[in-house]
Amino acid sequence: MSRLFDFAGGEGMGYSQPDPLLPKTAVALPPALARKELPRWPRLSEPEMVRHYTWLSRRNFGIDTGFYPLGSCTMKHNPRVNEVIAQLPGIADIHPHQPEHHLQGLLSIFHEMQHMLAVCSGMDAVTLQPVAGAQGEFTAVRCVQEYFRNRGESQRTKVIVPDSAHGTNPASAAMAGYDIVEIPSLENGRIDLDALKAVVDDTVALMMITNPNTLGLFETDVPEAAEIVHAAGGQMYYDGANFNAILGRTSPGMMGFDAVHFNLHKTFSQPHGGGGPGSGPIGVKSHLAEFLPSPIVKKRPVLTGEEQYAVDDMWYSWYEPKHTIGKVQQWHGNAGAVIRCWAYYRRYGYGLKDMSEHAVLNANYLRHALHREAAAAGVSHMFVDGADADVAKHEFTISLQPAKEAVGVSAMDIAKGLLDQGYMAPTVYFPLVVPECMMFEPTETESRDTLDQFAKDFVKVLQIDPETLHEAPLTTPVRRVDEVYAARNLCLKHPFEVEQ
Amino acid sequence: MVDQLPNRGLEIEMLKEMGFTSIDDLFSDLPEHVRMTEPLPLPPPQSEEEIIADARRLLGANRAMGDVVSFLGAGIYRNYVPSSVFQLVTRGEFLTSYTPYQPEVSQGMLQAMWEFQTLISELVGLPIANLSLYDGSTAAAEALTCVVRVHNRKATQKDTVYVSELVPPDRMSVMHNYCQGAGIAVKTLRHNNDGTLDLNSVHEAAGSCGVYVEQPNPLGILDRGVTQIKDIIGEHTALVVGVQPVSLGLVEAPGNYGADIVVGEGQPFGSPPTGGGPIYGIFACSQPYLRLMPGRIVGRSIDVDGKEAYCLTLSTREQHIRRHRATSNICTNETLIALMGAMHMALLGPEGLEHLAARNMTACILAKQKLSDIDGISLPHFTASHFNEFVVELPKSAANCLNYLDSVGIIGGFDLSRWYPTQGNWLLVSVTDQTKATEIELLAAHLAVWCSIKEVVA
Repeated sequence: MSRLFDFAGGEGMGYSQPDPLLPKTAVALPPALARKELPRWPRLSEPEMVRHYTWLSRRNFGIDTGFYPLGSCTMKHNPRVNEVIAQLPGIADIHPHQPEHHLQGLLSIFHEMQHMLAVCSGMDAVTLQPVAGAQGEFTAVRCVQEYFRNRGESQRTKVIVPDSAHGTNPASAAMAGYDIVEIPSLENGRIDLDALKAVVDDTVALMMITNPNTLGLFETDVPEAAEIVHAAGGQMYYDGANFNAILGRTSPGMMGFDAVHFNLHKTFSQPHGGGGPGSGPIGVKSHLAEFLPSPIVKKRPVLTGEEQYAVDDMWYSWYEPKHTIGKVQQWHGNAGAVIRCWAYYRRYGYGLKDMSEHAVLNANYLRHALHREAAAAGVSHMFVDGADADVAKHEFTISLQPAKEAVGVSAMDIAKGLLDQGYMAPTVYFPLVVPECMMFEPTETESRDTLDQFAKDFVKVLQIDPETLHEAPLTTPVRRVDEVYAARNLCLKHPFEVEQ
Repeated sequence: MVDQLPNRGLEIEMLKEMGFTSIDDLFSDLPEHVRMTEPLPLPPPQSEEEIIADARRLLGANRAMGDVVSFLGAGIYRNYVPSSVFQLVTRGEFLTSYTPYQPEVSQGMLQAMWEFQTLISELVGLPIANLSLYDGSTAAAEALTCVVRVHNRKATQKDTVYVSELVPPDRMSVMHNYCQGAGIAVKTLRHNNDGTLDLNSVHEAAGSCGVYVEQPNPLGILDRGVTQIKDIIGEHTALVVGVQPVSLGLVEAPGNYGADIVVGEGQPFGSPPTGGGPIYGIFACSQPYLRLMPGRIVGRSIDVDGKEAYCLTLSTREQHIRRHRATSNICTNETLIALMGAMHMALLGPEGLEHLAARNMTACILAKQKLSDIDGISLPHFTASHFNEFVVELPKSAANCLNYLDSVGIIGGFDLSRWYPTQGNWLLVSVTDQTKATEIELLAAHLAVWCSIKEVVA
């Protein structure tokens, strides 16, 4: 083990700093304000620090390490040109309060991204302010809330979500103060229009839904659901978590949605970074546009005197919508993430459709390959499709209920067995409508060879004897971690007192 | 294009194997009337080389702070991030991993975040820290909803929190957005003319769910009164303190004067300004807030062999389990930027932290001295202790002054009339560890020139 708080070198610091501009004695804080004891931070030299974090990195699995078919997370390759661009001083070393004429390049990229996202989603206006998908949801819910307040329809206090929705949907709507009405899905995981009709009335503000749904199936009834909600005066929200499946093939606008968020860290390749940062811009139809938070960028032709700062003879400026809800993050959103995704978008241009097509191609191919390899090995009886459908979209589910009943092996066991094969495990136990669910999303950036090999290895894991599989993983840096122990014996920081 | 699409050229073979003939077959489930029939009206694809060239051209049109002399702060600060941080954080195992839901293959990030929690906990003097929120403003906003969840039952001023009137409008706006859904009333704490907190105003907050103040405050003042708040409001009203974390190398840790929650912009540790994001928000608290706090937390545990191991814990607070009853909707956070912060803090060590804080603070002292010598301008809070920034009162508008300084290549600071409309002549001048003595001299010289121009014009 390499533990940060075991490093206790001599006094000093791990990187060299210049001297202060005045002697430290010039700092004369009143006693009540002066710190008495420095934090018990470790003392490491640079070589020790580099080795510690390198050691840690080797105990972590990323897309760069191997195939990462984590359903609903869109773990596609993160092009490295994006990282190079994000370190340019024109983004890394700029301050959000700099005047517009210092930031024309940034604003032009923001404008281009707003336009691209609007085009792809069929929306009229886009803000790049929200910094994560869940924050995008919250922002859109707030816009809808203010829209109705502005219209004198404050009796709309409910938000409808299907029971199969991502947990962030109800959490975001509740944070804005809405009552949540959960409607059950049909047995096959699809939206139940009768259940929807039964709860829709003039107290409903919004319905939140994702399409393809969390089973990876395209919900053909969504346009009809939109008509039902709209007829009662409500709004429709598209959770963009699954946008990677449909880009260039259809759009939330065509399906009847009024607002949508984008997960730039899913669809547009911002690295997930172990849990963030992300970026969650939202797009809305024109009737909601004046409620958006800034930053929103507008452009006009350049005027005399501005040429020295301008790019492409246009002038870009911040715009604050008339009824804006204000801010949900203090600055201009995750500008650095937007820049990375701009570079990604530029690689595809009008060919963004190819990206979605290959994502769907790969998902269907992997589903096919799993069945093919299982049949070849005579273990087809161990799992069934999570949903009955001719085609999946960018992800698909299987149920390992048959394996559980036949040999007592759970989806979690299989997941841990896959870790031993050098893969990240697919998502397990989501969505809940599929028993012993396993959800695969290969993304468009995996080769056919990888998909074929994974299918073979998956079937190999199915054939491991149950006792061994209950013990898996065996080859990982640690074996199954006791989450109950962690919760009962809370140790949330280094216990200095005990160990010294 | 094959670079991002390994199966380019193999489509037909793959489709055939599945019994399909074209890609269209895979989208046959889309109803006719929602199918896009035209190509996306977007420009053609570019090669990597063309993208880099365009990025250099467009981003090169921005004025990077390193290319000018900058005294702009007001919440985001120029800093230096050691080279090793960038080298390590772009290791693919960190960069390209997801939230550590499979702890057996995510020990690296889990342990790094547990260490981050310890570093923050030690820095602010509270026992618990989460592994980051989006930024300082959302951390502050989430703290306010958290204190209402914890204290509302015993509060005599139900659903009420008090926030310093100096808090900038953009930060305040985030708090309003987060608080309005829970029906929380946000009242204000007044300040004295010398920029310090009006402690009589604090008395009015006793019995509410919590108060939020900043140390240093938005005028850069280190306010002794902040250390007395907890004695006034008592145990059933939470004290939430927003900090500039580097200041804690010299300034008392809020946990030691009764803060219940500490939040702040983590950016000065580990992250360049990046136009304001991605950065990361610090959130630390004491025991009573643990089970109602927002965000992810890592706990140390054991594996089946009894070996030390780490995993996410207390997840039942979170949206993926608790759904609409979750303590927050946060899912994606700022882990990678927090990791950069951890690396920077680890390299600093206790003495490095103190040294860095002293560089910031002495630069501020020097700048105050130099600017106070200029005829025509004054420093309204000259006798206070400052960290990073201070107010300069000008003979005419800050906007005019900034325009002049801009014309000679200096970003002179922040026009405080953008926050406080009645203070048209207030300039917030910010200095950090990156400020050189020669730059302070340059600012002083140009300010003197600008003041003299004013006299001629007048």
